[in-house]
Amino acid sequence: MLKAIVHTDWATGTINKNIYGHFSEHLGRCIYEGLWVGEDSPIPNTDGIRNDVLEALRELKVPVLRWPGGCFADEYHWRDGIGTRETRKRMINTHWGGVVENNHFGTHEFFRLCELIGAEPYICGNVGSGSVQEMSEWLEYMTFDGESPLANLRRQNGREKPWKLKYFGVGNENWGCGGSMLPEYYADLYRQYQTYCRQYGDNKLYKIAGGANSDDYRWTEVLMQKAAGQMDGLSLHYYTVPGSWESKGSATEFDEREWEITMRKAMHMDELLERHGTVMDRYDPERRVGLIVDEWGTWFDVEPGTNPGFLYQQNTMRDALVAAAHLHIFHKHCNRVQMANIAQLVNVLQAVVLTEGDRMLLTPTYHVLKMYAVHQDAEALALHGEFGSYGTEDGKSLPQVGATASRKDGVVHASLYNLHPTEAAEVALELRGSEAGFDCDGTVLAGDAISAHNTFDAPAQVEPKPFQAAVEGAGYKIRLAPASVATLRFTPRA
Amino acid sequence: MIAAMGIDKAEACKGCSSSVQVSEAQLIRLLGKIKAEDAVADDAYRERLAACGNCESLAYGTTCMHCGCLVRLRAKLKAGRCPHPSPAVRERWQAAVKEHA
Repeated sequence: MLKAIVHTDWATGTINKNIYGHFSEHLGRCIYEGLWVGEDSPIPNTDGIRNDVLEALRELKVPVLRWPGGCFADEYHWRDGIGTRETRKRMINTHWGGVVENNHFGTHEFFRLCELIGAEPYICGNVGSGSVQEMSEWLEYMTFDGESPLANLRRQNGREKPWKLKYFGVGNENWGCGGSMLPEYYADLYRQYQTYCRQYGDNKLYKIAGGANSDDYRWTEVLMQKAAGQMDGLSLHYYTVPGSWESKGSATEFDEREWEITMRKAMHMDELLERHGTVMDRYDPERRVGLIVDEWGTWFDVEPGTNPGFLYQQNTMRDALVAAAHLHIFHKHCNRVQMANIAQLVNVLQAVVLTEGDRMLLTPTYHVLKMYAVHQDAEALALHGEFGSYGTEDGKSLPQVGATASRKDGVVHASLYNLHPTEAAEVALELRGSEAGFDCDGTVLAGDAISAHNTFDAPAQVEPKPFQAAVEGAGYKIRLAPASVATLRFTPRA
Repeated sequence: MIAAMGIDKAEACKGCSSSVQVSEAQLIRLLGKIKAEDAVADDAYRERLAACGNCESLAYGTTCMHCGCLVRLRAKLKAGRCPHPSPAVRERWQAAVKEHA
């Protein structure tokens, strides 16, 4: 039997709730149709944003939401998205193959969305095709409370008081779609742009520099060497792609071998955080600069019959396990990772919500993030054990079981997953470091197949169910079904 | 089928990897994969496409914004349904199959 021992009196760091963050880009049907339907839509909405999705996102406890991109951010000109909607500029979003953008969802609508779901806004500015002046003026428009032409323009557009904005990204993927820059050049540009990202009144910006793609450690090295003192966070992007960029693989039709490859690629995030973190430690041993994983998740071929530029993919138990594995990794690195944003919120890539007309479904990834929300802002607890092994690819294996635990307000939560697609796992769980006894209850997510997923006609195929751990001696015995994820709550007895 | 199973070192540019513009040749290739027994009659197909062509939610001449699907494929399938949020619009589209059954 496998073993997991949780040290309830040994905190290893704090799990920033923002690692449960999300990303919404003007891409496919994420913003338009997925969130924004307009005030005149037959779909019930609040100020143009569909109510069913709002309700789902409120339930999910989305801590922070990144917008407007992504690649789109470096082509976005914020003035196009303010003022009367009918007069806003229609433009072509060339990053995604010529998408027509009517700018009906702009700055005011984004802040309204954040307000409605209780999320902190994280805005990414335009370095690739913008200017220092444009970025500086956007911040003035959003956050300046005094008398100025831009603050007055905001007031004319219906917003008297400035918004609170903490998280601000200075460009996106500047090694690629954000300007094809070399790290030395971007580091200098970052220093220049951020100088004019002014802190107005009591609004304090947390400035995030555009970071590396995957294992480009040199990018991190150069940025830290040249600009660590001018940044609060440095981003990192990594996607789990089972195949190649040309042929990524189907989201729903895959075998056990592809499952294993997907899990191995998901686990690569651990090595990335370890190694980027080591580079950052050299320049920032106090770990003041946060590592911001502001794009992560699965990327498959689009659903057959859908527009290839919309990046619409289904979401199965495989996505649920990838999400759980990432969250465990982020917990492990919580002293450096201060935010992570799964891509993307609705209808694009590893979405938590899918929509079709007036119908909506919650994906297995949604359920995992909701089950794990108990770890937000909790203290990560030390944990050790024997986790078995799974996989044969190239003679390498992965731990069959993953476990993570946290403590908040005296309550301990432990989350576990079983990566094995066909074999159950029995785990003996022990809580050390507390004399109090605990009452235990829990939730599990499992499907009847590794490709189990929800559809618009059958939206409840994969849903969390109550889960019990059997008391055995001083601990608990847990049986994890193949390809399953569970969260247990341990409440101290009075 | 997945072409390469190893971890990629050289990644394509994500931003340039996909386009919303779908060519006639791509559409014909996709339509060719539909089995005859899954397809609606030609008259029903034409009526459905005519309805899509007049819909304000058709984008790029190919794509329904309510579901992201390529309408020529969805209209061809017996199992296809119109995702428009207005029931009246949906019913007109569905009725085309019944009329030509």
